Amino acid sequence: MQHFCEALQQNSWIIALNSSIVISSLFELCHYAGFFLVVGSTALVDLRVLGVAGRSQTATAMSEQLFPWMWTGLIFASVSGFLMFAGDATDFYGASLFRVKMLVLLAALAAGIFVQWQVPRWDRRPTMPLGAKSVALVSLLLWVATILAALEVSAINGVG
Amino acid sequence: MSASLMAFAKWLQDTHWAQWISGSNWVYPFVQLTHFSGLSLWIGTNFALDFRLLGWGKKRQTAADLSNSLFAWNWTGFCIAICGGFMLFAASATKYVVNPAFLIKLGILIPCALVVHIINQKKSRTWGASADTPRIAKIFGLLELLLWLGVMTAAVSIPTFEVPGL
Repeated sequence: MQHFCEALQQNSWIIALNSSIVISSLFELCHYAGFFLVVGSTALVDLRVLGVAGRSQTATAMSEQLFPWMWTGLIFASVSGFLMFAGDATDFYGASLFRVKMLVLLAALAAGIFVQWQVPRWDRRPTMPLGAKSVALVSLLLWVATILAALEVSAINGVG
Repeated sequence: MSASLMAFAKWLQDTHWAQWISGSNWVYPFVQLTHFSGLSLWIGTNFALDFRLLGWGKKRQTAADLSNSLFAWNWTGFCIAICGGFMLFAASATKYVVNPAFLIKLGILIPCALVVHIINQKKSRTWGASADTPRIAKIFGLLELLLWLGVMTAAVSIPTFEVPGL
């Protein structure tokens, strides 16, 4: 993995892209916009499952409207995130909190996908099951933890 | 840069709580967390409504219904983002008040984007009453989207325009 990171960082395309202030700012813009779209749309569906948002609509209606934007945001955030990672791949790979961030991110995504998959079933019940609310709460907390871990990577490990 | 604005920035930055934020490796990221969590709710829900006004994506809900169901958390996100943003500003106020990217972001782009957002939220009741939105809704949806992308571009450009030594 260390060799892969070194090769990635020394790739001429990656060096050229990351040495331009305009292009690296564009990567940051795509990363933030994509991430806000992922977290905002997932959080609203989680809050609807918890019964504290958009109660005039069913959770399924809100999920069908918002989850396509979660996937769109995820594509933007992942592609730009990979290109930002590639520019300092060895530093990121060596940063312990970056690994924590990626693990928490994967757990948050798994919880979000599980909610998306189960919402129509939960909605057929007369009241939202306690298990559904627990998963939605865990999903929300995992996204907050993902943001915190991402911020700590630069604050503690000095990368990014 | 007016002297009174710089004097206010210096006073704010020297307050006990602002120094506590800027002086700790752990507190600063928690304040950033507040700002980014609020922004995720605010920008995520703004974009979802703008996309719906533009007619992009699924049309399971009308723009009027979507705006109504997102309204409370949209403004909750805004309030959280403002609180976090003010604390981040206070921690390095003298740097921010001389930064052109920050001044453009706060003085021009955010007020314009907020005005368009309020218009979109109010008008979505009439523009978004049926599944297809009129051309004016699409124009305002696109305008708001571009303005918030402009705000984010100015925000990511702040480090580029930092004045050394402040």
